Amino acid sequence: MRNDTDIAIVASATTPVVRHTGDTETTLLLHAITSALEPVGLTRADVDFTCAGSCDYISGATFSFVSNLDAIGAWPPKRDSHVEMDGAWALYEAWLRLHHGDIEIAVVTGSGRSSTADPSLIYPMEMDPYYLAPLGVDPVSFAALQARALIEAGKVTERQMAEVAARSRKDAVGNPSAQVTGDFDVDELLEEDYVRAPLRRHDLPPISDGACAVVLATAQRAEQLVERPAWITGLEHRSECHNPALRDLTDSPSTRLAAEAAGLRDGPVEVAELQAAFTHEEPLLREVLGLDDSVAVNPSGGALAANPIMATGLVRIAEAARQVAAGRQRTLAHATSGPCLQQNLVCILEGDS
Amino acid sequence: MARLVENRIQFPYKRSLGPIFGAFMTGLVQRKILGIRCDGKVLAPPLEWNPATGDELAPDLVEVGPAGTVVNWTWVPQPTEQHPLDHPFAFAMIRLDGADTPFVHAVDAGNIDAMAEGMRVAPRWKRERLGTIRDIECFVPGEDAEIPEGDTNEAPEEPVTMMEYDASITYRNPVSENAERANAASREKRLLGQQCPVCGRMYAGGRGYCPIDAVELTEEHDVDLPQRGVVSNYTIVTPVQYPGQTETEPFARVFVRLDGVDVVLGFQNLIDVPVDDIHPGIRVAAMWASEAEREETIGGIRNAIGGLVGWIPTGEPDDTSPDLLDKVL
Repeated sequence: MRNDTDIAIVASATTPVVRHTGDTETTLLLHAITSALEPVGLTRADVDFTCAGSCDYISGATFSFVSNLDAIGAWPPKRDSHVEMDGAWALYEAWLRLHHGDIEIAVVTGSGRSSTADPSLIYPMEMDPYYLAPLGVDPVSFAALQARALIEAGKVTERQMAEVAARSRKDAVGNPSAQVTGDFDVDELLEEDYVRAPLRRHDLPPISDGACAVVLATAQRAEQLVERPAWITGLEHRSECHNPALRDLTDSPSTRLAAEAAGLRDGPVEVAELQAAFTHEEPLLREVLGLDDSVAVNPSGGALAANPIMATGLVRIAEAARQVAAGRQRTLAHATSGPCLQQNLVCILEGDS
Repeated sequence: MARLVENRIQFPYKRSLGPIFGAFMTGLVQRKILGIRCDGKVLAPPLEWNPATGDELAPDLVEVGPAGTVVNWTWVPQPTEQHPLDHPFAFAMIRLDGADTPFVHAVDAGNIDAMAEGMRVAPRWKRERLGTIRDIECFVPGEDAEIPEGDTNEAPEEPVTMMEYDASITYRNPVSENAERANAASREKRLLGQQCPVCGRMYAGGRGYCPIDAVELTEEHDVDLPQRGVVSNYTIVTPVQYPGQTETEPFARVFVRLDGVDVVLGFQNLIDVPVDDIHPGIRVAAMWASEAEREETIGGIRNAIGGLVGWIPTGEPDDTSPDLLDKVL
């Protein structure tokens, strides 16, 4: 038994993640929320608070999250919030809201249809409007600059990056929500052309459509609903300055600070789901988080296998919680936002021993 | 694969620059690159705040460059429409002479093999300089800046205080099966709706789900809606001439409550009624496009239904029910 004030993840669901879906974002969310609630015997009427993460720039409609509310069940009226961020930050808000102690069940969502437009034309508009946006510096170009910085610093090689891609795609084979899966030969991957040197196609995440829903519950309800709740024992995020040119790209101090604050060092973790959308980010995050080879990193295949932007980070938390439900004792989830790992969130999940 | 509808959204931003960015942009017009002193270092391009502490920086600006050293780079084999060059180029971090932090810009190096950490580069200046980061077209290999022939580096008459940035994105949205059926029905002059199997509420067009019960609606839930109703509410829009606005005269958008069902269509076009004469209670009927004028595509506005042009008065006496305005959606 945990303390009454503890909060757990009791269920989650991710839609199939694909390059193009004919479904609207609302329909994706409708399916994700229903699929998360039904197996634990909840209905939308049981939900006290909802928080969604999505992005108007991706959907191409102002206040697009308002129509997404149709998936939540508007009646009876419920407390609701939205963050223009990955659903991992929506989960952070829901976790804070449950700590008020007056409500018991929250649903968190993340959703995005990246197929609606060209991501390389959308994301430069989120950059510094004076010095960077007018140049159209796209996220893959920034990732490539970070990859080169890490290679020059001797922290990673192009071969190691290809190995991360091959391992992720192989691990994703059993994941029904994965988009890029299969057996790939590292030598063959290394023969491909650069998309942005030193990044090749396999170093990049796929462009994906998809949605994820996660159900949080306070201690008593959590123990009634499931046999093995995934208790959130630490949840923190930290941010760095926006312009990657002003940061040391061979380090991620915000990840380190968030992990320390979340209590990562209080014990070992068995599994880490990291939002490493580019191959070189995984070894950097492993180093900063102090994860040795005994930790299974991204057994789901991670963001390299499926990258439904605005849900990708929340999916990491859902996967880490699923590992606890399946018997793991302590797992870690990481989510990131902004160019070159600008802002980072760390979530520690634990099962009852 | 669903049919896709393309639309282009443009955001014409005008940004005020403030004292630091403004001074930097004014410098560019004069072919000068400015940095700012911060904790014994020089940040170029300059920031208003110390990136490490968030403290406001004094406007202690210092000229840097124009040449510099590439400290990091990547190669762009296929430029996008937003990029500064239309042929393969490098994005690079360039530490300008006299600066301590790198400047992100393009390098026109010809091919990837010409790029290397430590290479020296200098700006290629545009002839027409407006005070934006694109006044530097790109950097080029070597020590010498490229300056258009006959170019003067006179100060602008007024310091640069504003910056324009026209953002533009093209979206391709799928048309759902429900919307396609509503659209097809409109070609037969039928107003298609859907009825929720849980609460019995009806929705016009191809909405695809009941927002009250959060259940999906499909073809089996389709119903034909009545094509007569009453204006239950209205607004007169006086167009503001923002970029892209095509309306010039005040126009109305009305809410139509359909007869005998619990459906209100929002923001509809009312035909043949001067805006000053519009009032709740006018009895109306659906007006459909002829085959020749039919709109073949549907837009992104909810409830936009292909061939439905708008609503036209029937000539019947007004509906004087006192509760007309009570039902909004």
